[in-house]
Order: sequence, then structure tokens, then C-alpha cells
Amino acid sequence: MDPILADIYSTVIPSAPYIIAAYALLWVALLVYLLMIARGTKKAQAQLQLLEEAMEDVVVEEIIIEEE
Amino acid sequence: MSNRDRGQNASLRLPEAGQWPDKIALGVTIAGIVCTTIGFLLAFLWVPPVGGATVSGVALIGDTMVSQKMLISQKIFYFHMPVAITSFVALLFGAYYSVRYLMTNNERFDTCAAIAMEIALLFVVMTMITGEMWTRFEWGVWWTWEPRLTTYLILMLIVIAYFVLRNSMSSPEARAKASAVVAILACIDVPICLMITRLIPSSIHPVVLREGGMSPEMGLCVGITVVGMFCLGFALYRARFRQVRLTQRVEALKETFGD
Repeated sequence: MDPILADIYSTVIPSAPYIIAAYALLWVALLVYLLMIARGTKKAQAQLQLLEEAMEDVVVEEIIIEEE
Repeated sequence: MSNRDRGQNASLRLPEAGQWPDKIALGVTIAGIVCTTIGFLLAFLWVPPVGGATVSGVALIGDTMVSQKMLISQKIFYFHMPVAITSFVALLFGAYYSVRYLMTNNERFDTCAAIAMEIALLFVVMTMITGEMWTRFEWGVWWTWEPRLTTYLILMLIVIAYFVLRNSMSSPEARAKASAVVAILACIDVPICLMITRLIPSSIHPVVLREGGMSPEMGLCVGITVVGMFCLGFALYRARFRQVRLTQRVEALKETFGD
């Protein structure tokens, strides 16, 4: 390769790991936060479903007691 | 009062859902992904690399005569600056909701402020990560006590202190009031952090938001990425808001059952 061109491109390869790391870590941070939200939402929805089912059971019991 | 009535009353005072921000959240998320992808492609395929030190000669690359080293590491800038701006905007929202909380004592604003501060912390961390990678390669060090870096570190510590404080107080009202004050303090650091390169000029952290600070291509690329990051920040805020409100709803229902 032409020595001048080699000098012009001399910082490209050494900087590549830092550029890749910067972009990769940025998206990793975003994805980790997104996963935390998704996990929290899933957990809350599961709990809500359990509570709704428990509440339905209580309501049915109350209706049966009222009818008796 | 029967359990059914108590349950209905609880759900009446429970968090709202399905407001207009939730309706546009999906569209905004897609816009955020599209804009950041375009920004990424423009940064690497369209915007010319910035020149560094002069080399001992000239070479023809494409149709341009080049006499400087190509600083490819500068490509980090196209995401580093947008995430930094988004962190500032999130902090402004955190302070806005904190002021609203102090004015109204409405718990909803405390929740909004806490989530905005969480988003701010996420973007502050992303700014630090991208900045560190760039600093390490260009300046040869992981850290230097340069004015912009120092003020931004202080900002990050204030945001971390906000969450340490929130987790250390048990009384919800006292916690909300104290954390609102810290959120406002963090917001005060935003203009200092923004203006510090103008107040204390530094050769290694240039002022880019000025006439001639960026070429039109650089400005367009940064602009598109800023829009993308704003959209992603908003989408994350709404997703987290929905999750927190849902958790609060579960807790309220548990309380009703506990009775």
C-alpha cells in the first residue's frame, strides 16, 4: 500500500474495537432496560390475573351465601 | 361493604391506562428504531470522516484530495451527542414532574418524575459508555478531569443519589418530597453542563452546537439520531410507566384483599 494512504488510514483499524464497543454497549444498555421492563410487566400481569381469579371466586362465594 | 364493592372502588382510584401517549407509543417506537438506524447508516456510509493530523503528502481518495489522517473514532459522536441531549431532556422532564408534585402533592407526578429520572440515568450511562470509548482511543486515557467530563460526572452522581435517597426512605410522602428536590437540583446542573465548554474553553472538548461547529452532513445525521433517541426515550418512558402503574394496581388490589 502507498505509504501516504497507509498513514491516512493508520487509525482506522486500531479505533475499530472502541467504535464497535461503544455502539454495542449502547444497545446492550437499552436492551437490558427494555428486558427489565418486559419482565416486570409480565410479573405484574401474572399477579393481576391471579388476583382477578381470586376475586371472582370471592364474588361467586358471596352470591351463593346471599342466595342461601 | 362487600369485597366486590371494595374491589370496584379500588379500581376506580387505580392508575389510568390507554391514554393518548399509550396509543402513539408503538408508532413512536417504530419511528425511533427507523431514525436511529438511518442515523447509524448515514454516520458510516454518507458523512465523510473527520480529518486529524496532517500526513506527509496528499492522496486521492474517490474524488477528494486527502492530506490528513482519517479519524474514524469520531463516528462515535453521532450517537454520543444524541444520547447526551436525550439525558438532558429526561432530566428536564424529571424536574418538571417534581415541581408539579411539590405544587399538587399528587402521587402520580412523583411516579412520573421517578420514571423520567430512570430514563435520564439510562441515557447518562449510555453517554458515559460512548464517551469513555472515544476518550480512551483519542486521548489515550479512561478518564481526565476536563470541565465537561467533570460536570457530567457530577450530574450522574446526583441522579444516582436520587435513587439512593428514594430507596433509603420508607415514608412515601417524605421520600417523594426529598427526591423532588434532588431532581430539581440535577436539572440545575444541566445548563451548567451544557454551557461549560463555552464558559471554560477546552481544547479537547469542542463547542459543537454553534455556527460552523458541524458540517451540514454531520448536522443532519446528528439531527436524525437525536429525533430517534427522543422517540426511543419516550417509548421506554411509556413502557416503564405502564409497568409501574400496573404494579401499583396489583398492590392496591392486594390491599383490598388484605382487608
